[in-house]
Amino acid sequence: MKRRYYSMKDDILRVQNEALVAISAAEDARALDEARVASLGKKGALTALSMGMKDVPKEQKGEVGALLNAARTEITAALEQKQQALEEAADRAALAGIDPTLPARFLPTGGLHPLTLLRERAVGILRRMGFALADGPEIEDEFHCFDALNTPADHPARNVKDTFYFDSGKLLRTHTSSVQVRMMEKNVAPLRIIAPGTAYRRDEIDSTHLSAFHQLEGLYVDRDVSLPDLKGTLEAFLRELFGSQTEVRFRPHFFPFTEPSFEIDVKLEVKGQAPRWIEVAGCGMVDPAVFEAVCQSRKDRAFDPNEVTGFAFGMGLERLAMIQWGIRDIRLLIENDVRFLRQFA
Amino acid sequence: MNVSLNWLSEYVDLAGKSVQELDDLLTFAGIEIEGIHSKGVSSDKIVVAQIMEAVQHPNADRLKVTQVDAGEGTLRQIVCGAQNYKVGDKVPCALPGAALPNGFTIGETKMRSVESKGMLCSGSEIGLTDKENGLLILEGDPAVGTPVKTLFASDVLLEVEVTPNRPDLLSHRGLAYELEALLEQEHRSVELPEIATVHGSEWIENDAPDACPFYSLTKVTGVTVKDSPDWLKERLVSIGLRPINNIVDITNFVLHEMGQPLHAFDAAQVGVKMHLRGAKANEKFSALNGSEYELKAGDLVISDDRGEVLALAGVMGGVTSGVTESTTTILLESAYFDPSKVRATSRALILTSDSSYRFERGVDPQNVMPAASRALQLILEIAGGSIEGDTAVVGNLPETTGIVELDVARLDQLMGGSISLSDAEGILQRLGLTNVGENQWQVPSRRADLQRHIDLVEEIARVHGLDRVPSRLRATFVAASDIDAATDLDMAMRRSLAAIGFYEAQTIKLISEKQMIDALPLRPLQNGDVVKVSHPLSEDHAILRPSLVPGLIATAERNVRQGVKSLRFFEMGRVFRHNGGGKARDIESEDLAILLSGPLAPDGWASHPAVASVHDAKAIVAALLPGREVQFVPKERAGFVLGCDVVVGDSTIGVVVRLLPSRERELDFAHPVWLLELDLGKLRKLLGRRQAVEELPQFPGSSRDAAMEVPATLPALQIDQAIRKAGESLLQSFECFDVFTDPTGQKLDESKKSIAYRFVYRAADRTLKTEEIDVAHKKVLDALVQTLGVTFR
Repeated sequence: MKRRYYSMKDDILRVQNEALVAISAAEDARALDEARVASLGKKGALTALSMGMKDVPKEQKGEVGALLNAARTEITAALEQKQQALEEAADRAALAGIDPTLPARFLPTGGLHPLTLLRERAVGILRRMGFALADGPEIEDEFHCFDALNTPADHPARNVKDTFYFDSGKLLRTHTSSVQVRMMEKNVAPLRIIAPGTAYRRDEIDSTHLSAFHQLEGLYVDRDVSLPDLKGTLEAFLRELFGSQTEVRFRPHFFPFTEPSFEIDVKLEVKGQAPRWIEVAGCGMVDPAVFEAVCQSRKDRAFDPNEVTGFAFGMGLERLAMIQWGIRDIRLLIENDVRFLRQFA
Repeated sequence: MNVSLNWLSEYVDLAGKSVQELDDLLTFAGIEIEGIHSKGVSSDKIVVAQIMEAVQHPNADRLKVTQVDAGEGTLRQIVCGAQNYKVGDKVPCALPGAALPNGFTIGETKMRSVESKGMLCSGSEIGLTDKENGLLILEGDPAVGTPVKTLFASDVLLEVEVTPNRPDLLSHRGLAYELEALLEQEHRSVELPEIATVHGSEWIENDAPDACPFYSLTKVTGVTVKDSPDWLKERLVSIGLRPINNIVDITNFVLHEMGQPLHAFDAAQVGVKMHLRGAKANEKFSALNGSEYELKAGDLVISDDRGEVLALAGVMGGVTSGVTESTTTILLESAYFDPSKVRATSRALILTSDSSYRFERGVDPQNVMPAASRALQLILEIAGGSIEGDTAVVGNLPETTGIVELDVARLDQLMGGSISLSDAEGILQRLGLTNVGENQWQVPSRRADLQRHIDLVEEIARVHGLDRVPSRLRATFVAASDIDAATDLDMAMRRSLAAIGFYEAQTIKLISEKQMIDALPLRPLQNGDVVKVSHPLSEDHAILRPSLVPGLIATAERNVRQGVKSLRFFEMGRVFRHNGGGKARDIESEDLAILLSGPLAPDGWASHPAVASVHDAKAIVAALLPGREVQFVPKERAGFVLGCDVVVGDSTIGVVVRLLPSRERELDFAHPVWLLELDLGKLRKLLGRRQAVEELPQFPGSSRDAAMEVPATLPALQIDQAIRKAGESLLQSFECFDVFTDPTGQKLDESKKSIAYRFVYRAADRTLKTEEIDVAHKKVLDALVQTLGVTFR
């Protein structure tokens, strides 16, 4: 019995050593698993020895049991350690194949047209200031484009050389100001609208002219709208657009449909040049003759110039875009060259 | 308008005012200065220097090293390349710090290692007009050190842009009047001799009193026509005019001095009686500019009893009756012509002159006779001769101005209380208006633009300046309009398209007849539906686009030429058409068009992507309308292939097509070009509709697959329709996941295809039992067999 006891103790140590050697020698997960099965598996050597516990004398059970447990613990620990080592080695091998400096894969990128981006920004500012969007037809009649806007019948703009006419006598609107008239015909004061849209002039296309271009029109009509409102609104708008420190100045000018009228300059630094005054918009107090024309068209006195006043403004969106991004040739805005568009994505 | 500062200074005190100050002053009074050109030497640091010595430069054959005396007590060493001087000559020397007209500022430098402290100058280098080579040798022995500017006359030419409402500014005296008002100077009035007049109907027959309300002629005999004196020539040259002879020069001078155009006829070339009349249709007129014009009936002409057209009233004189060297007796015309008449004639003939420019904007009626008086004064002084008889006059000068009330309360409201009444009155007074009591203001005859209260307000605001008006910001809530809502939806769609790799294009809405071949209007165009402008600028911009596709194809073409392979563009915007066969009604609607062609991604180390197919084009619609069931119903479109209507619910919202392959080849597209044109209004309606949230399913679904054999030509749409028609309520969804064909016919007959679907069954209230699913699935498969005769594999 004693001999058996010693032999069992030896067996345990032998099995343990064999197992540890096999684990240590395992080079992959399969070899490691074989080592596990050979020692701890159902038919494994240590499992077989554990079966022998029932034959161990009672007084020795404690010692043998402890030996068996110690062997199991040690083998298990070695297996885990080896497993971890193998996984880490596999990870290292897998990572070694990855070159993070190779070019990125492709996800499609597109972008909005700069005129859209600019219009959204400008419109966004004005909407925060309480203006709602408006629009009107681009194929206009002379009443909405000229007559109602106090433009005399023989004004230079009303000429087949400068304006696109149709055989029907209609024309392509030469400015978005026609929307002012259309909105006043259908609404009553207070009226606060902005109308971005296309306007047309019979200009040859070159680096500074397009025959079809975009304007942003604005109109505010109410009782007691005054020059301070015009000035405050447009200063706030332009400072929001060009930066809070932007200097803004109003130069008296002439437009048939506003009086007094002004052109607005902002002082901007064009890349590589000293800051200079750049014209960005026209504006003025709505001429009473415009209100009269609207009243006649409406057949009521809702816009009686003795009761309401208003201011209007307009600006060229291409021009603003060219200023904003230093675009030198206006044609870039209609050519849609991806190399250009990509820069705004 | 060109203005000479020297000339202007004759009428207004500009002492101590820099050009910049004048520019600002006028700019902020609404008078834009478009250009400033200095003549003569401007820098004080260009002085007279005498060349005392000139030796060969040690390191440069063409240069000399000079020692010059610039009046500084010591000699100055300057390296110079000119050859045309001798030692002892006096020449202009630009000292360090001198700014030359070309923008260059002189400094001390070394030229080929020899010190050079300044520059000896040619005339053109210092702003004098001569173009001689070499140094400007100064005549008359001026003292060394004298600023060269004092030796030559200098002037500044202002290019003034006058707005159409201010014809009173179109002369030197007119601008001087304005400057006096702005500078708060006393107005210096001009005394001219009164002209004796006589009713002139014996001399002048006026058949067109509306077009010419007032006409005067003065006869001067015994004039000597020759070159003008230097001062007169200098005035004309200073504003860019060419002197001709003393009589013509005087009329031009008075026009630019006083703003009233005049005309002088050679009396020998004129009959006994002037005849003002409307032109006959197609009547010929040979103008002074050497061109012949064919007149329209009614153009106002100055003719005589012999019937020849002597002048086109207010526009230009005729070649036969002009004043020449041989003229001894002249008839001086000073008149008031109706502005719109002159404008119509000038525009119809595309003939403008300094005269027509002023008449069509309206001259000052009270200036007509003083201008004649001024011209006669100069003629007698310069050309001699004597006035024969009194000036013959027909008609009356119109009264273009009157009394205007200033509404003080409204002035105060509009100006935001920023100006006192007395300051406002001061402005009006300085501008020449007279207070006739009770805020009633008499407007001077030269300011016909001041007719209403608001016109006076404009004057006050203009002179007061908006910088002195307070700023006020009153933002109030304004409800979103339909356009606000539409704009927001459009932006959401734009961003969706950008996010899946599309670039937004914006193209010109006017297209060419040639581009119409690419048009893909949502409703096909009938004859006369196309909107054409009457007088296009060019063939390229003749038609208002009925579809966005032509613009996108042009965009793609341009990018292909730049080597772009993957073409992904969209555009949103208006399209135009007439209603059904060219009836008067124009229709403007809004579309979204998309172009897709070429590889879906660039070739890379990791992938070799596929080329866009119709299924990729359809995927764009799915991305735009996530969660909506979209059907593509084949429908051919002329000029395109593989056309499908895009249908959502029972609404057709657009079309998807491929460009005709022959057109693709013609335009050098390497891959199929897929095009979508969608009705933006309908898309907005679909996207704008608020949808209630769907409950998430509580119970699992089960899927069954079925692969069926069908004729190779059977469209999947028919399978979809058959499945839907089965009306199985437990069928939650289905999708095609495989299509198999075998061109060799080995695994599957080549006339057949195998198409596999996955069906998902689910009930909202329970987990389905296997038997229930079997029954439902069988119903769907039976429907497929019955409707399409499919067989299952």
